[in-house]
Amino acid sequence: MSVRTEPAIKIAPKSIRRSWLLGGLLIIWVAVAQILQGKATLELAVPENSKFTAWAGEVADSIRDNRNDGLAFKYFFNPIREFVDGFVNIIREFIAIPNGSSSIPVLGWLGVISLIGFVVFAVSNVRMAFAAVALTFACGALGLWTDSMDTLAMTFAAVILSLAIGIPVGIWAGLSDRVLKVVTPILDLAQILPTLVYLAPLALFFLIGPASATIATMVYSIPIAVRLTAFGIRGVPTSPVEAGTSMGTTKRQLLRKVQLPMSSRTIIMGINQTVMAALSFVVIAALIGAPGLGKPVIDALIIRNVGDGFVAGIAVVLIAIMLDRSTSAAITKKDTFVPPSEADRKRRKLALITAGIAAIVGIVLSRQMAWAAFFPKQIDIGSQVANASDSAVTWVTENMELLTAGLSKAVTVGVLNPLESILANSPWYLTIAMITLISLILGGIRSAIVSATLLIAVVATGLWYDTMITFTQTIVATMLTMLVGVVLGVWIGRSVRAERALRPILDAGQTLPAFVYLIPMLGFFGPSRFTAIATGILYSIPIVVKIVGQGIREVPVNMVEAATSTGSTKWQLITKVQLPAAKKSLLLATNQGLIFVLAVVVIGGLVGGGGLGYLVLLGSSKPELQGKGLVAGFCILLLGVMIDRIAQYMVARNSAPKH
Amino acid sequence: MSNNSSAISVKNLWQVFGPNPEKIVDSPDARLPRAELREKTGNTAAVQDVSFDVAPGEVFVVMGLSGSGKSTLVRCLTRLIEPTAGSVVLNGENIMEANAARLRELRRTKFSMVFQNFGLLPHRKVIDNIAFALEVNGVSKEKRHARANEVIELVGLQGFAYAYPEQLSGGMQQRVGLARALAVDPEVMFLDEPFSALDPLIRRDMQTEVIRLHEELGKTMVFITHDLSEALKLGDRIAIMRDGAVVQMGTAEELIANPADAYVEDFTRDVPKSHVLTVRTIARPLADSETATGRTIPADTIIRDATAAVLDANGPVGVVEGGNIIGYIKSRDILQVVGGGTHA
Repeated sequence: MSVRTEPAIKIAPKSIRRSWLLGGLLIIWVAVAQILQGKATLELAVPENSKFTAWAGEVADSIRDNRNDGLAFKYFFNPIREFVDGFVNIIREFIAIPNGSSSIPVLGWLGVISLIGFVVFAVSNVRMAFAAVALTFACGALGLWTDSMDTLAMTFAAVILSLAIGIPVGIWAGLSDRVLKVVTPILDLAQILPTLVYLAPLALFFLIGPASATIATMVYSIPIAVRLTAFGIRGVPTSPVEAGTSMGTTKRQLLRKVQLPMSSRTIIMGINQTVMAALSFVVIAALIGAPGLGKPVIDALIIRNVGDGFVAGIAVVLIAIMLDRSTSAAITKKDTFVPPSEADRKRRKLALITAGIAAIVGIVLSRQMAWAAFFPKQIDIGSQVANASDSAVTWVTENMELLTAGLSKAVTVGVLNPLESILANSPWYLTIAMITLISLILGGIRSAIVSATLLIAVVATGLWYDTMITFTQTIVATMLTMLVGVVLGVWIGRSVRAERALRPILDAGQTLPAFVYLIPMLGFFGPSRFTAIATGILYSIPIVVKIVGQGIREVPVNMVEAATSTGSTKWQLITKVQLPAAKKSLLLATNQGLIFVLAVVVIGGLVGGGGLGYLVLLGSSKPELQGKGLVAGFCILLLGVMIDRIAQYMVARNSAPKH
Repeated sequence: MSNNSSAISVKNLWQVFGPNPEKIVDSPDARLPRAELREKTGNTAAVQDVSFDVAPGEVFVVMGLSGSGKSTLVRCLTRLIEPTAGSVVLNGENIMEANAARLRELRRTKFSMVFQNFGLLPHRKVIDNIAFALEVNGVSKEKRHARANEVIELVGLQGFAYAYPEQLSGGMQQRVGLARALAVDPEVMFLDEPFSALDPLIRRDMQTEVIRLHEELGKTMVFITHDLSEALKLGDRIAIMRDGAVVQMGTAEELIANPADAYVEDFTRDVPKSHVLTVRTIARPLADSETATGRTIPADTIIRDATAAVLDANGPVGVVEGGNIIGYIKSRDILQVVGGGTHA
């Protein structure tokens, strides 16, 4: 009698074998790493260059020397820089910096606040308008009026330029499959590119200053505008599009009369996200000369002045809330296609006229009266807030040592150091071999090839050791993020009430620039590797929780009911049904977590995180190390691509139909 | 049926998805079962060699289950999907040869479509939805609104001209869809499962509405449905599709009396035959023992409608066609059909 192997039976031992294989591999790795500890680590002292980084430095120098006569500069980079510079200056002179020979911007503080109130009222509602006015005023009250206005101006300049490019390209990608195919890999790359990576290269081509900062911000936010616009156009239901076509519309008519109006909600959502991305980037772009609130934040981080950094951080948060809430209110307005009634519209028109007159009065006053032009110095609670936050941090570190120093020590000694000894302090060939084997087991042959190639490229740059330091921190932070993220994600996935309670916190967490998290973490944990890790965790938890929660919620109800009806306990239900069924979301969350963590961990170089991030920052301040900084940025990119590829192959493998 | 007298004439129409679709057309591969074809060449032959003619003023129903290719077929007729091969002639003009501009013009003036999910534009008032085709054709606002108001009255949407689609019930929304299709006064209307998304009761109202509109306006219609009773109710002729090909085409009576294969028979099994068949199909010669009553009945009377007269007659009733008696029926013959006895 012939035995027929059932496919279902074949799969089970294979996956068991896979985990055994992984376990065995790890044991071997740890053992060999112990024996060969400290050998062939390729460590390069901070002030030294490798052959490759020295060469990169020479290339950077020659680019810099070429700045005035090189054809590419003369006809490409310089005109762009001048245009962007001019554009940014117009906006800055409008609200932030002295305009021409005058000692104030076109609008004094009262004018700016009036205008903000009016615009927010026009796009959303009266409550939001008052909130926006209050939030803007609070920035002034913190003693940071000019910096806040600079940040706002930089953000607006970048957003306007980003949308001017991003929306048309997004529409195009929404309409044409071919264009979508071309832009998708670029968008994907932009999404995994840590922000720190492209600051230095852009500064090299566009000089340090507002122009570079704006262009870098655009590089970051254009993909978001493109993606959401294309998504909106593609999300229009087929039947109205078919109906339009069947009535003989031209492509232009179809776009104008059907596709654009029906995708306006998603496009406005894209504008909201573009604004938030631009804001968070403008803060970081202070590293290459963006004026505004980023500067005091960085200064504070460098000299470890938590109090002042905290004040600037609060101003960033206030602006973030204002921009996010007012643009989201505009989205809610688009929830229905039915416009308000005739009477409502009349009332609204009247209100708009009134608000407009008030705004004009404010603007005129701000140009005529000194008290309305310069933000009153008497209202300055900045130093009080700084002191209060300083003493709060001191209190926490003194009284909750177990929580701060203890936690930091536990993670550093318990997880970070051992992992570092395996990844960074063992021979490079061992690490490469093991990572390649693990990617082979987890993601298949293609991911193994990608890992091996990228890692060998890292070795070739001479920054292997620093890359492994950063990689270690990224892995530790991601593991901890997943630990917290899965617990919270399961919670909000299972309980509507928990979801409702956590959602606003998660939303707020997602809109804040990563930089802002660094300040309190620095206060609690001091300059250390753990500070970088803690910031990475804090920054990436919201996205992980959201993805896991959604995955759990999307587990089919009948699956859950079937398990419950067979008498599963809650724990069994979670571990045996819901988590396995949400496997794809878990992988996706891990991938996102890794990418987010990496982006922040490298910024942690500012506060003692070491690794590639530190080299990037060092490169921008020390001319002899600029090549090393640029190469370090490149290694971050390689690391990001490797992490993303392995995760993508794993996702693909796990979602492929099993036969 | 000759091409010249047809409102629409479809010849050897093919729609093949996948790589090198032309290769599948007329090839033996096309006849393979779906999964096998996909396995072998990567193609799906959604519409296979379909030909039919629709007479002016006729309601032609294409019926099939989901996946039978009927929705693809109707989209090929208006070139919303470009067919792989074949011709569609609309009042003497082969629309396959029309260039982009001509195709737009045809769509704006000669034919119109009603969709299963209505396809209304949520950001436009009812009146502007209805006037849309006129608007894209450059008709002035005054004129197109005047025309829209006419059709609003026609479909019973008075008072809703300035409402928005999402303020209307599903049935009312599809009335807007109908009005929109009527607004251009088309030569042919294509209706793609227009009532499938509606509740049964409202569906029945809308079917009646279509019958009324057809009687009033006499539009040629190609009506797609998966619902046999809808097909029987509306269709002058019905084409039954399966796996991309037409398996049988004919009047309701022909389909039920002579199903071409087991598939069609299976389909039509539950249809009460007395509601569809005419007395012609059950007329038989007079038996020796019987004597005619002298009463007669026209041959195209539906059996159900003949019941009272025949039961009343107390004996064989003559079935008359063209002035001649072609046979007789009596109450037992009718009861056999009503009682579900097989009779072909």
